[in-house]
Amino acid sequence: MNFEAFLFYFFSVILVGAAVAMITVRNPVHAALFLVLTFFTSAALWIMLEAEFLGIVLVLVYVGAVMVLFLFVVMMLDINLARMREGFIRFLPVGIVVAVAMVSVMTLVIVRHFHMEAPERAGADYNNTEALGQILYTEYVYPFEIAAVILLVAIVAAIALTLRRRPGTKAIDPAQQVRITRKGRVRMVDMKSEDKS
Amino acid sequence: MLETIMNVWEGLPLVMQIMAKITLIVAPLMLAVAYVTYAERKVIGYMQVRLGPNRVGPKGWLQPIADAVKLLTKEVIIPTNANRYLFLIAPVLSIAPALAAWAVIPFDDGMALANINAGLLYILALSSLGVYGVIIAGWASNSKYALLGAMRSAAQIVAYEIAMGFALVGVIMVAGSLNLGEIVSAQSGSIYHWYLLPLLPLFLVFFISGVAETNRAPFDVAEGESEIVAGFHVEYSGMAFAVFFLAEYANMILISALTALLFLGGWLSPFQGILPESAFAIPVIGWFLDSGIHWFLIKTAFFLFCFLWFRATFPRYRYDQIMRLGWKVLIPVTIVWLFVLGVGVAFGIGPWFA
Amino acid sequence: MLENYLPILIFIGVGLLVGIIPLALGMVIGPHRPDGAKNSPYECGFEAFEDSRMKFDVRFYLVAILFIIFDLEIAFLFPWAVALDSIGLFGLLAMALFLGILVIGFIYEWKKGALEWE
Repeated sequence: MNFEAFLFYFFSVILVGAAVAMITVRNPVHAALFLVLTFFTSAALWIMLEAEFLGIVLVLVYVGAVMVLFLFVVMMLDINLARMREGFIRFLPVGIVVAVAMVSVMTLVIVRHFHMEAPERAGADYNNTEALGQILYTEYVYPFEIAAVILLVAIVAAIALTLRRRPGTKAIDPAQQVRITRKGRVRMVDMKSEDKS
Repeated sequence: MLETIMNVWEGLPLVMQIMAKITLIVAPLMLAVAYVTYAERKVIGYMQVRLGPNRVGPKGWLQPIADAVKLLTKEVIIPTNANRYLFLIAPVLSIAPALAAWAVIPFDDGMALANINAGLLYILALSSLGVYGVIIAGWASNSKYALLGAMRSAAQIVAYEIAMGFALVGVIMVAGSLNLGEIVSAQSGSIYHWYLLPLLPLFLVFFISGVAETNRAPFDVAEGESEIVAGFHVEYSGMAFAVFFLAEYANMILISALTALLFLGGWLSPFQGILPESAFAIPVIGWFLDSGIHWFLIKTAFFLFCFLWFRATFPRYRYDQIMRLGWKVLIPVTIVWLFVLGVGVAFGIGPWFA
Repeated sequence: MLENYLPILIFIGVGLLVGIIPLALGMVIGPHRPDGAKNSPYECGFEAFEDSRMKFDVRFYLVAILFIIFDLEIAFLFPWAVALDSIGLFGLLAMALFLGILVIGFIYEWKKGALEWE
């Protein structure tokens, strides 16, 4: 077993272990952190497949952004474990259907390409970010613009769902504070000096 | 003599070579961190007409070592209701990315540990991991102050990371590469080829976001010792606290080094292309004037000094002001400048598209 | 390409060790005298009133969601900026449209007041 194969099995074992732990641990925060570990090791595997851009972006977007949101939510909501377990039985049939569907789709994909020839190793100066850039914005420009629209929808939806104005807050508007000038605040008044003598 | 050393070096296994190089980076870095804390107290002391530490060793030079010994012999308190493992993992998670980012920093021409093509992306990804140390510390301590500090800090880091990312995109557009070494090489020519002037707005945005990312004054609401005691690390003591402290200063040095690399031409000499070639041939002075690692260190030290200077100069921002600055000032500035750069690229104008 | 990543892997390991070793040293060398008052969470001398894990303003979540969206945008911008020289005017205009659509979103959230902190 060469070093690369060792690294592959090393990361794979952690990946599978973390994924299993993520479903089985009780504490939701621990589960979220195991999911972070899962993403991290899969990023390492992607980099070993020479997809360096995708691997690093996986860390940047999923670990650095999406999981931060997950943690925010999981840490701050009081999740009642007993009530969650009540739902477990009720949603079990739906869960099983989804699981079976996922597994069969994955098997279909994997079985067909199970024995794939390993592609040739790229050279040391192979730049996969640039290669991606060269086709993403020319050949695949249409899906790329659709992605922009989907992100726009996400912005609008996030605001529509979560933005609630609380009436009666005493918040100060910093923009207004920045805009004040001397004229608005200071008034020069001429006063005769009072002679006390 | 030199040849024997080189032969021994070549004979070492690859992993040993890498370990030796990593030690050469990490050991000076840790020493620098220790003395930045000393410099901070001295500089702020003088700015406030005080002397700063001057008791331990000549002029207080041994102060950081005394601090380290003191912290080492203090108890590591784990609060009763804290989540033990997460409580102890949090400081490790905050220092590991701060150090690992140094793997791709080039100190001189070709003098980087890992010369990867996606260098800048790697640094951005690692700096986005720093937020985990803060959030986990805040949550695991099971203390209100810690949680408040963690939430504030997380929302702040997140907001400034976007501005920082956009500023980096501007640099990449001009340099055409993600590799830090190539970005510096693209600035060679003379001091006018540095990205400082053509990308001035992005430089300001990047450095301000850097200060905010590291939770330093004037953006230190995460610690806010006068309002929420010490923020996310209020429950930490002894070495656990020291590791957070190390991470904060290692991040400061990282941001300074990055600013020097991206906008001030890293190891390039400011006299390059200005002084005649013969000036660089003078024995010692010529070496100093020529490009080299010393310029990189000088530039980094300057930005580090700026960090300390800011702390002594500016009062702390209020939280809503911080969020406003990040979202409503820095991000629009960078987006507008990206459009300006795009027009520049399209019509081939600008001093940097030679 | 992979050989360039070996130092990074080792460096991450060293980074973790630099965190773990001082912690372990501190726990071994430092004294260990637990005490009820010392180990209680800090709340200015009061007994803790309630569990510290409280509910937070939904605004924090909104900031986190917006961050994800803009982070994705940055991830799209990086390869574009690298390949800028070779994709020509067409690629430039494609990105101008992309950024334009997202600037609309940015203006929307600004006007809606999602960026206000109150």
